[in-house]
Amino acid sequence: MNQRLCILATVTVSLFLGSVAVSAQALKPAPAAKTSNWVVGHTPDGQPDLQGTWTNATLIPLERKKELGAKEFYTEEEKAAMDAKPKKPIGSALVQHYDLAQFGLDRTQGKFATSLRTSLIMGPEGRMPPFTADGQKRIAAQTARIKGHEFDGPEFRNPGERCIVNNATGPPMMPSGYNNDLEIVQGPGYVAIIQEMIHDTRIIRLDGSPHISSDIRTWRGDSRGHWEGNTLVVDTTNFSDKVSFNRIPVSSNLHLIERFTRTGPETISYQFTMDDPQTWEKPWSAEIVMGPAPGQIFEYACHEANHSMENLLSSARNLEKEAAEGKK
Amino acid sequence: MIQFGKPTGVCKFVLVAILSLAVGRAQTYKAPRTPDGKPNLNGIWQANNTANWDLQGHAAQAGLITVLGAIGAEPAGLGVVEGGAIPYLPAAAAKKKENFANRLTLDPEVKCYMPGVPRATYMPFPFQIIQSQNKILIAYEYASTERLINMGKPIEPPDNSWMGMSNGRWEGDTLVVDVTGFNDQTWFDRAGDFHSESLHVVERYTPASAEVLNYEATIEDPMVFSRPWKISMPLYRRIEKNMQLGEFKCVEFVEELMYGHLRKKTSSK
Repeated sequence: MNQRLCILATVTVSLFLGSVAVSAQALKPAPAAKTSNWVVGHTPDGQPDLQGTWTNATLIPLERKKELGAKEFYTEEEKAAMDAKPKKPIGSALVQHYDLAQFGLDRTQGKFATSLRTSLIMGPEGRMPPFTADGQKRIAAQTARIKGHEFDGPEFRNPGERCIVNNATGPPMMPSGYNNDLEIVQGPGYVAIIQEMIHDTRIIRLDGSPHISSDIRTWRGDSRGHWEGNTLVVDTTNFSDKVSFNRIPVSSNLHLIERFTRTGPETISYQFTMDDPQTWEKPWSAEIVMGPAPGQIFEYACHEANHSMENLLSSARNLEKEAAEGKK
Repeated sequence: MIQFGKPTGVCKFVLVAILSLAVGRAQTYKAPRTPDGKPNLNGIWQANNTANWDLQGHAAQAGLITVLGAIGAEPAGLGVVEGGAIPYLPAAAAKKKENFANRLTLDPEVKCYMPGVPRATYMPFPFQIIQSQNKILIAYEYASTERLINMGKPIEPPDNSWMGMSNGRWEGDTLVVDVTGFNDQTWFDRAGDFHSESLHVVERYTPASAEVLNYEATIEDPMVFSRPWKISMPLYRRIEKNMQLGEFKCVEFVEELMYGHLRKKTSSK
């Protein structure tokens, strides 16, 4: 697709999706692959069908490289040239003795949905807006709390290592180094998202009911969804003050808006807007194109086999003991 | 001798009416249908019994943790096992006793581990059924656990797991779920009732009214039991208008128990 066609496709897709603007600035979804005559299917109760096993794995960085400026999309030619270059497996793991292919850590073998985006963050900036003073203070406090105490106890490890929630759980659902598989199941009045990683099931009510009491604060927040044409719009509030995004401690006033649009037989455009005026100077939005994941979701018993937590803490205590004995 | 004559016309009518009321309530309730014509089991359900304490009949008793007082005491229960007793093989009966004696450290529920099947059904937490065309999701509030029941061609379990591999089918209005591929880590209750990797569970969910599902589970494990045995109980719809599953991510609640001894002593949480 040449650039003009690409722009045309983008405009067409934007018109098709209706209003995709999620903040003041008009945001463009990633141009979808050309899919002749494809129309979205519907579930028996009439919802546009998002169901299936999907992956949100991506090689696109969250924030745009500074040298790309306001360039939001690569051209097809630029992308083809990048795709032709050999991909690097995850760096540090190579020096260890893991069989990267066996554990799915070899990025050159992973399946990724493609997009021409230069960054997941949408719009001309392509980067997170600056932190507010309150946000900076919160980040500094978290850093100070952890620094030098990394191995003191489970609460000093991130929630993913603790098998509570991780990037994939979100929301928003962010990809991580491996296993980005999820399954969407729809039934009358509900959309459920099953995350394999750590294992989580998030249930989104579509009945137009109000959010639960603001006294109830949770890791995943409280989600309500509705359909705008073919787009599932999910509004989430009630986050606890323990929640973080990419290690950034967000405020419990975070208001998250997610948009799921089936853009083709093998793609879902997943967009989200982070509206947290206590953390960022303005709302910002990102888009991840999800592609099909082969096979079925399997049970991920994270906590049940979390020997790492015990090993990590006991090693730290042993090192302290040895250091203390050495001093005597 | 009192002679019973043939029922009169009126008597016959009354008898038939009474019988059909009794039978109709129990057996001929026809569940509403989903938009694609399947019995509609969608909803949030919960058992209301003490099976999670002990599947077999039991009197109330003091709890193991003195400071919890009456809060930690075990409530009584009439039992949900058909015939009353679980048919353990002799060695397994001894192991069950040992499990019971050490339940505070051995019960996987204490550590927030996935509960397995059928225990997930009658834990004191609600669960939600979401019916899709080819799959039925059962999402449990407890530990964000879930099962995705395959309603298509049966799938062999790729490996053993805590919640097993579920293959479902419809028999009339009854959802029959065949579950295999279990590990040997889960228990059936807090009383130490257990199984091996050979566990095979067949569950039956039968709508009995708009607000009740009759639940049955046949449990087969030749390594532990002398014959298959069955539990049954009603599951009640949570009819509160604003009902939804809560978040019970209990890992956080057991970290002190599991890792507290490995904490740096001078550090605060």
